[in-house]
Amino acid sequence: MGETPASRRVDGRRARPGSKGLTAQRRRQLAGWLFLAPAVAYILFAFGLPVVYNVMLSFEQSSPATISSFTAPFAGFANYRAVFSDPTSVQAIVRTLEFTVGSLVGQFVIGFALALLFTLRFPGRRIARSLIIIPWLVPLLVTGVIFKFLFQLEGGAVNQVLLATGIVHHPVDWLDTPTLGLVSILVANIWLGVPFFVMLLYSALQDVPREVKEAAFMDGAGAFTRLRFIIVPIVRPVIEVTLLLGFVFTVKVFDLVIGLTGGGPANGTQLITTWSYNLSFQQFSFGLGAALNNVLLMLAVICAPLYLWFSRESLRASSGIAR
Amino acid sequence: MTRIDRSRSLRLLCMLVAAVAVVVALFPLYAVVVGSFESTYNLFSATYHLLPVSPTLANYRTVIGAQSGHVLTSLIVGLGTALLALVVAVPAAYALAKYQLRVTVLVVSALLVAQIIPSIVIASSLFLVFHWMHLLNSYVGLVLADGTYAVPFSVLVLRAFFFSLPNEVIQAATVDGASEWQTFRMIVLPLARSAVITVAVFAFLNGWGDFIFAVTVLNGASIEPITLGIYSYLGNYSQDWGAVMASVVFAVVPAAVMLALAQRYITSGLTAGSVVG
Repeated sequence: MGETPASRRVDGRRARPGSKGLTAQRRRQLAGWLFLAPAVAYILFAFGLPVVYNVMLSFEQSSPATISSFTAPFAGFANYRAVFSDPTSVQAIVRTLEFTVGSLVGQFVIGFALALLFTLRFPGRRIARSLIIIPWLVPLLVTGVIFKFLFQLEGGAVNQVLLATGIVHHPVDWLDTPTLGLVSILVANIWLGVPFFVMLLYSALQDVPREVKEAAFMDGAGAFTRLRFIIVPIVRPVIEVTLLLGFVFTVKVFDLVIGLTGGGPANGTQLITTWSYNLSFQQFSFGLGAALNNVLLMLAVICAPLYLWFSRESLRASSGIAR
Repeated sequence: MTRIDRSRSLRLLCMLVAAVAVVVALFPLYAVVVGSFESTYNLFSATYHLLPVSPTLANYRTVIGAQSGHVLTSLIVGLGTALLALVVAVPAAYALAKYQLRVTVLVVSALLVAQIIPSIVIASSLFLVFHWMHLLNSYVGLVLADGTYAVPFSVLVLRAFFFSLPNEVIQAATVDGASEWQTFRMIVLPLARSAVITVAVFAFLNGWGDFIFAVTVLNGASIEPITLGIYSYLGNYSQDWGAVMASVVFAVVPAAVMLALAQRYITSGLTAGSVVG
């Protein structure tokens, strides 16, 4: 794509020797910077400032009275000590990890199986593949509300199906115990995330010969071996990126929980995000909330180097016209 | 089994599994639509019904007055988010793809990392920052916050698109004496149309569906998007499920219409960028 230095020099207009050429180059650089400036300003304001401010807050003794002033008295590690000695916070951290691992396993297994399925030839596969993306349209809070409706004790569709198929004999009170409440959130989140996994894995699986995939579905004993030793290695890079993005998306799930259980019963389904929201916006302990936020930020940011490494292709410098 | 039998039964199996997947994917939405035409009394009965027992428009009558304003608010927020994403992302993506700036790698890395930062971290800080800047309870503040979903994604998608744009096109314009800005506006922007529309639609959907920033940086009733409208139903103990379901329809249909209208552009916009991965 790019020009060779020689061709650039032949183009007299661009590379005229002397000060005029330099000015053109400078002008171009300046234009590039101006094009970039709003984005840089936005990144600093909407990402840089909040992250830095969050770290500051986590070391401050905040109270409802300090909300109006930009800073509060320094508190050392008091907020972190408080967070790590508060059972609800610790449980929220553990629960977030359990929830994330559970979600990823469910999303990956179902998503990979469906992606594999959609690469095979059968009538209706195109329409099925496009219909399956529809859950994406639904705002996350709304998804939570819908699943709350489906998981109801009386007249909930989930209980109805379980009763009809004889899996349970009495309606299950999904949203009234912490464990089942978390299971409900997990189910909703898997439902939500599978289309993403299908989309990414499907495009990766295009590179695998069809015979190999058909055999993986059919041969009883050989199927798993084939899957593991032939198909997975081919699509491994995409699997890694997908799982990484899935992890990053799942640790920050918030809306879904608010819509489905609101963190209850008895804070039994609070995740880091919802409990931090509770600390900051319901108890007005912004310092504690910020400390818990930083735990979450650490979890997410651990992934940053990996993500950058996976994205190294797009990190290459511009394809543009060098002058 | 012979080979033919095998492939036929494989095909049947595939169709069956795909059908189950589609039913599971779509059933929750189907249940919402059915529920929206059902009286709350029937929704609370012990059994779930696949079709409304006694179809009624009562829920919509209840909700249309209560939620129309919220739908309008969400539209404004969605359009605002799309506008912000375009103004910030299109020129930046162009600069990051076609200009050799010293900060390119740094800025792209920052955008990748920005996608990772959890919204609750941003929301908690921005609440205090906005409080201080008097941006709470304003469209400007909410759109600035909602942009955090859309801006990094938009820049990265558009940048991938601009990579695929031949340099010769841009050079031809410059040689003809067009300024950098003229080239961008008259040549580059029209060529980027489907990528720009794709990005705008995604940004709109982000603003439309946002809840976390709405519930943090709006704390009065003066501006209330549809997600907050639905959220306010949740606290009540005796839930009016019929009204909730009708409101959910209000929260999904405009987004669906928007996406359907833009579908044509989105497919080409994303394949040109082929960045989803």
